[in-house]
Amino acid sequence: MYDHLDELEAQSIYIFREAYRKFENLAMLYSIGKDSTTMIHLARKAFFGKIPFPLVHIDTTYKYPEMIEYRDRMAREWQADLIVGSNQEAIAAKMSPEAGRMVCCGKLKTEGLTRIIEERDFHGLFLGIRRDEEGSRAKERVFSPRDKNFEWAYKDQPPELWDQFNTTFALGTHVRVHPILHWTELNIWEYIQREKFEICPLYFAKDGKRFRSLGCMPCTKPIDSNAVTVEEIIAELKVINTPERAGRAQDQENAYAMQKLRAKGYM
Amino acid sequence: MNQDETLKIVIVGHVDHGKSTLIGRLFYDTGSIPETRYQEIAATCRAQGREFEYAYLMDALEEERDQNITIDTASTFFKTEKRPYVIIDAPGHKQFLKNMITGASSADAAILLVDGVEGVREQTKRHAYVLSLLGIRQVIVTINKLDMVGYDQKVFRQVENDIRAFLHSVDIIPSYVIPISARDGENMATRLGGTPWYTGPTVLEGLDTFENVRGDSDLPLRLPVQDVYKWDGKRIYAGRIETGSAQKGDEVIFLPSGKITRIKSIEKWQAPDLAQAKAGECIGITTEDELFVERGEVIAHRSKAPAKTREFRASIFWLADQPFKNGRTYTLKLATSEVQATVLAIEERLDSSSLEVTERYAEELMATEVGNVLLSLKGEIAADLFSDNIRLGRFVIEDETFIGGGGIIRSFADRAGNATRRINLSEQFSEGEEGNLIDLTRERGSIEFDVTIKFLESLAQGNRILFRLRDPGQIEPVALLAYEHNLNFSFSRIKDQVNLILYKEKVPRVIDHPEDGGL
Repeated sequence: MYDHLDELEAQSIYIFREAYRKFENLAMLYSIGKDSTTMIHLARKAFFGKIPFPLVHIDTTYKYPEMIEYRDRMAREWQADLIVGSNQEAIAAKMSPEAGRMVCCGKLKTEGLTRIIEERDFHGLFLGIRRDEEGSRAKERVFSPRDKNFEWAYKDQPPELWDQFNTTFALGTHVRVHPILHWTELNIWEYIQREKFEICPLYFAKDGKRFRSLGCMPCTKPIDSNAVTVEEIIAELKVINTPERAGRAQDQENAYAMQKLRAKGYM
Repeated sequence: MNQDETLKIVIVGHVDHGKSTLIGRLFYDTGSIPETRYQEIAATCRAQGREFEYAYLMDALEEERDQNITIDTASTFFKTEKRPYVIIDAPGHKQFLKNMITGASSADAAILLVDGVEGVREQTKRHAYVLSLLGIRQVIVTINKLDMVGYDQKVFRQVENDIRAFLHSVDIIPSYVIPISARDGENMATRLGGTPWYTGPTVLEGLDTFENVRGDSDLPLRLPVQDVYKWDGKRIYAGRIETGSAQKGDEVIFLPSGKITRIKSIEKWQAPDLAQAKAGECIGITTEDELFVERGEVIAHRSKAPAKTREFRASIFWLADQPFKNGRTYTLKLATSEVQATVLAIEERLDSSSLEVTERYAEELMATEVGNVLLSLKGEIAADLFSDNIRLGRFVIEDETFIGGGGIIRSFADRAGNATRRINLSEQFSEGEEGNLIDLTRERGSIEFDVTIKFLESLAQGNRILFRLRDPGQIEPVALLAYEHNLNFSFSRIKDQVNLILYKEKVPRVIDHPEDGGL
């Protein structure tokens, strides 16, 4: 029986194949989180087990050690071409959230990403953002251009309809492609449950706490939870009434923090 | 029905008819607002010294709060006991129609919102027409703000009649027309008693009766080739089955190339030896014969194949700032095919709010206008009429680099219902009782002729040939034949059909009764 997860999966596969056909030099931004990992699984479905483009992880050096261990182990299992990028200059200058969370995110994440894209001349980048995460992501298109300065003209986006995407863009732009834009947090967990692929262990409760969203150590807080299986997480999500990213400090800076970060090229 | 099936709805209507309030109310009534979000909005409203506004729930971006209008497509989520919903928000402001279409194009159902005090307005009609062009058939009309007129039934009936009449003209039959007050919550989730004269469902009850719209497995197979992968010694045609189903071993035709083969295997990762695949599935197939076909071809069963066409009539809606121009060539994208399309004529330019033809043979369509146009393609593509198969009957038009508009195929202008048939005239030739006869009355598609020297010699010797033609459209290929080989012809109408006499002679003899064998 074809259900909503089949439909979501098919939509994502279609987007992957469309982007792979249309852009020469593609990469996938891999954040180690459940959404990125779901994206990898979908890419392997789209390309019959292969991942025909490199994965890029932007390492801020503030990630949990469990995340890095998991990343390296999985990349080997997937036989993926993993590129780890970072803004060495900023790291050497001891950039940290003490300089301001928005500044830190901008330097370590956005600039780290910008450098890799320029260095490797990527024309298209898969990102695992979802519309239900927060307001500005809700307004994204599936194929979303960024100009030379990495800026997002969210007020003037071309239409997308009937799975026809805008795939011709001016020189110097790179395109963000969002294969799981239409999924919800719950869908992701239902899919993990159904497909049984391994996700980072930090999502499961340990000593009464678990991470609902993964990020850098100083700015990510776990939630109170005793969910140690995917089933228990799903049960928990069905009654929870706080936003998914409530534990992510950069989102809480002010009402428009994410909007401002994202207009400048943040994920 | 699976409890977790999400229904995608779009909410459209004229600016200021209360859309954001309606959405906020849906959220509030279904307990779908995270508590922190609710507090944040309440605080914002207090800071601005105003009452709590449900509308703020939808307005995540700075600009929107300032301008008090919704500016782009966004998705938000709520749940009923039956299932989750996603609202694909679409703006009510005129210049943002493209966002509404982006949102509405993937919706399962729509709520069309009409202000009961103001009644049906320009954008109400335009949005309703767009729903019709997008093929959305599950529609609830809500007549809002009835609290302002004391829930007067007469007011409701008047607006209901107006909107029903308009919807009828665009082939939409609303599932429900519901009197509401989004502000008070009347007939949203519950009946508060303001409309004792109304016995139909509430908005949420109405929504719960709708179904997910999916690719239809009962229609003929349409599998557009999205890409061809040459991996692991296999040549895999990858694509999504838009409609129908495919079985291993099926004989299939690739169109427009016309290549025929059998499905050797249906490929999916981690699913070896699949026997069949259905509408909605992204698959790959390998074929028994090594073919060289490219993206854009459509795989179908031979007996139920799509048309090959290079000229058709379509209704289009235009969204780009620059006008859509007669005579210009655009890139047209239909399923996975891409082709250059020249606008032969904008036969009718319509006012999308009244649907009146404002101009015939217009030179251009402006942003937000709709028109009926004749398009000529540089190469053939496989397509269906929108009325036969929504997914292969709709297309977008690119204006330089961006999607500028969309359209649906109303009719084929090249009688592309069938592939062009090549007819060998020597073989068709019969010397019946009526003389030399070629009967083409059974040919339905376009025709081309293969001519042998023997056939031309026969004409040169003074023989005449009677063609029985199905309709006047078949005169053209015969005329072309006559032109190319310096022949003459005359024809006469016989009821709806045509008798045509082909001969080689300087002066035609007048034939009074060609039917009587006057050859």
